[in-house]
Amino acid sequence: MNEVYQKIVDIIVDAKGIDPDTIHYSSTFKDLNVDSLDIAEMTMTLEDEFGITIELEEGVNTVEDLVNLIVKRLKA
Amino acid sequence: MLRSRICEVIGIRYPIFQGGMAWVSDAKLAAAVSNAGGLGIISAMNADESYVREQIRLCRGLTDKPFGVNIMLMSPHVEAVAKLVAEEKVPVVTTGAGLPGKYMPAWIEAGIKVVPVVPSVAIARRVERGGATAVIAEGTESGGHVGELTTMALVPQVVDAVKIPVLAAGGIADGRGMAAAFMLGAEGVQCGTRFLSAYECGIHPNYKKKVLDARDIDTQVTGRRLGHPVRALRNPFVNKFAELERDPGVTDEALSAFGTGAVRKAAVDGNLQEGSFLAGQIAALVKREQSAQEIVEEMVGECEALLGRAGERIE
Repeated sequence: MNEVYQKIVDIIVDAKGIDPDTIHYSSTFKDLNVDSLDIAEMTMTLEDEFGITIELEEGVNTVEDLVNLIVKRLKA
Repeated sequence: MLRSRICEVIGIRYPIFQGGMAWVSDAKLAAAVSNAGGLGIISAMNADESYVREQIRLCRGLTDKPFGVNIMLMSPHVEAVAKLVAEEKVPVVTTGAGLPGKYMPAWIEAGIKVVPVVPSVAIARRVERGGATAVIAEGTESGGHVGELTTMALVPQVVDAVKIPVLAAGGIADGRGMAAAFMLGAEGVQCGTRFLSAYECGIHPNYKKKVLDARDIDTQVTGRRLGHPVRALRNPFVNKFAELERDPGVTDEALSAFGTGAVRKAAVDGNLQEGSFLAGQIAALVKREQSAQEIVEEMVGECEALLGRAGERIE
């Protein structure tokens, strides 16, 4: 789970150029200025990274939502 | 003669789609464009399934050519309308304002060709993986809901990222824009604003006049704060919306409520004060009323002539 979280943080930092310390589990993508296009891009990267398929229609609003979604897929 | 994979896979004569525009793209306009050899598209906008069913059946009565339905994914009726188009087995579904992934398996199962509007490379790749027949890469020059990238920047990047055919949209109103789109690697175009001036387009005369009178600098994007930016012709409504958008004292809910119903007021009522007259940056290139047939044939003729002469530039 920590690995997934860290990867998401890395991607956000890389894409948006923000300080990693400002990102938390509870951060909403809206607050991080991560829009739906960023999320689409990010999930494509995460899919490649973890060898999974992520459907985006599942109400992903926070970093924690995305971590949970990926962990669920990894277990599936 | 201009041919592309789009003509083959969709079964149309000319690679021109007519965009799905809320309160504009009804069965009559869609059938006229399809009969002209392009692909006419009915807008499902925020309407319920009974309206969309009626339009599909009307369209079938007016043309035996392929046509499409545009599904606005933020519609409150999206679930029911998504089911309806599968039941009706409409030839083509285009989608906008979101990701169509969860609906695509049922549509494809029903034999529908799915052609999503995409604002970025990642979303194009995603829908290709989901089984899309083609994608429409729409730049920010377009009217209505807009993304950030321009057509010039977006189209070649999407072309490079996917194997399925790409249509270009946003900023294309004549054969020059169409030829340019082909040069960028697109195999078809989608036009909205150009068809606002079609005789078969039933919008209020005030709307047509606003488009025909438009200058290059007359459109404005509002709604960025809500995450759903929209391009329209400047008027008192747009000015007021922009003012409210800048005011931190106005909540997002209040701003959203202020915009509700404005597109209908423009297209149906011709309300010049309170309507939202959606149009693209090329509105000023639309100079006269014509039939859908004339529009399609004129665009294709210009495009063919330009592409045919392109080699003359090389010494």
